[in-house]
Amino acid sequence: MDKSIIRVKNLQKIYNNRIILDVDHLDFQESKIYAIVGPNGSGKTTLLKILNLLEKPDTGQIFFQGQELTNKSRPEVLKIRRKMTLIDQNSFLFHSTVYDNITYGLKVRSVPTKDQRDKVKHALKMVGLSGFEDRRANQLSGGEAKRVVIARGLVIEPEVFFLDEPTVSIDQRHQDVLERIIRDISDEIRTTVILTTHDLSQAYRLADEVVSLLEGRIIKKVPENLFRGVIEEKNGVKYFKVFGNIKFTIAIVSDKVGPAYISIDSKDIILSYEQFQSSARNTFSGKIIKIIEQNHLVKLEVDVGIFLVTTITRESFQKMNLNLGRKVYLTFKASVVEVY
Amino acid sequence: MDFIIEGIQKAFQLIFSLDREIFNIALLSLKVSLTAVGLASLLGVFLGFLMAMKDYWGKRFSLALVNTLLALPTVVIGLIVYSLISRRGPLGVFGLLYTPSAMIIGQFILATPIVIALTHSAVQGIDKRVRDTALTLGATEMQSAWMVIKEAHYAILAAIIAAFGRVIAEVGAAIMLGGNIKGSTRVMTTAIALETTKGEFGFAIALGVILLLIAFSINILLHYFQSKKL
Repeated sequence: MDKSIIRVKNLQKIYNNRIILDVDHLDFQESKIYAIVGPNGSGKTTLLKILNLLEKPDTGQIFFQGQELTNKSRPEVLKIRRKMTLIDQNSFLFHSTVYDNITYGLKVRSVPTKDQRDKVKHALKMVGLSGFEDRRANQLSGGEAKRVVIARGLVIEPEVFFLDEPTVSIDQRHQDVLERIIRDISDEIRTTVILTTHDLSQAYRLADEVVSLLEGRIIKKVPENLFRGVIEEKNGVKYFKVFGNIKFTIAIVSDKVGPAYISIDSKDIILSYEQFQSSARNTFSGKIIKIIEQNHLVKLEVDVGIFLVTTITRESFQKMNLNLGRKVYLTFKASVVEVY
Repeated sequence: MDFIIEGIQKAFQLIFSLDREIFNIALLSLKVSLTAVGLASLLGVFLGFLMAMKDYWGKRFSLALVNTLLALPTVVIGLIVYSLISRRGPLGVFGLLYTPSAMIIGQFILATPIVIALTHSAVQGIDKRVRDTALTLGATEMQSAWMVIKEAHYAILAAIIAAFGRVIAEVGAAIMLGGNIKGSTRVMTTAIALETTKGEFGFAIALGVILLLIAFSINILLHYFQSKKL
């Protein structure tokens, strides 16, 4: 049976009189991988810090393995905090050797020195950096440094491992390595992994469950083609202008006016070589910039001024003979655009 | 002109013959200044660290105050401490005036603001992520504070050395509070002042050379630690 490791209830975090996090209920089960997705500023990092007990929520309760933590004393909170670790998006290595960095968490927990060497060795092996003990931290490449940071977290054998945007600003080769390491952590030491990412495909590749956060709230459906912008009305018709590319407007159906988010299900977007006559009010042309195969489906990312992802079947993909750089048309109805 | 050349010759004779009086004076200088700086470091590093890490009411004011104290003339320190520890002063009963302890107090007051101000800027220059990283790895507040100091240790050592350079070379407080008593409170700077007015140039120059050598080694050390600042 699944066991809850962290559960939160009615969590709110207020910053500058603005609610930046508002989570009614969230439950994480032991030894699963969770991905929290959402655009920048959606509250992902704040949520991780609260779950890691580094920040206090303004209201709400946090349960760790069923224990309520709100009224716990500092030593008790420390004890639970030490069962978890968080890897920052912009992670930092102390100015010393790899060995000294990795033993830090052991030292603060008063782990005997004689046990430290073996633990460090094992942690470095897990991240594929055996023999790196005596390297200076400032002599590592970006990808290596990130792996040392993960080894430094692993060595304390946490029950929950938080990773904030683990693969951001890391080259593709190291991204793949890191994703494999994250899976290994979950498989081998049965640690619960909770990571944030703004890369939806990464979330689905890695996670058992995906939690979607938008403006501090959890939304049921994980949105694809999510954009922030502003809704304007022209001659009684609503248009959405995308932030970052103000000239780009999408016809939508909504009661709202002003700042908003929209998302478009990639399966609702029709791909064609030629523009065709239809009732759909949104048609854009652009070049294919990315092709991702997923079982029977193929996801295509098209640069039409903004990056739109469309999903087609493998059969259509083969029949249409599509390739990178190919100019195509994307068409969708105003009514399929979800507005938040 | 001759008296200068003679003075220099005499000075090197005194130094190379390991003149007892000269070395006793140099030793007392070191003892007084090292004690003063040692005590100033204990307080100054602690306060400098707190001022950099904590937000508190009056932070700007306290920083301005410390920076003002950096410019405190040594004779003013001499005056203040003198009035406190002289026989008629509130601390007169301890009989501290004209003892090495009085000089240590004066130099401590001189050194502490330097250590505070330089530690403050050293700790402020440390990446904020040091503390956060320590906390995510399970450190207590104290353990994370210690990690920040460790990351800043070269710059903090440089602060302490800078303070030492200032106090070993000061003369105002030493002469007012120590009284330049031979064999008891006569240190290098006060001896140089006295011997020069007496016309004993050789003796004065010998002490001057030693003082310069100490200052030079301090600067070499300071340079070393500053270049180590990562």
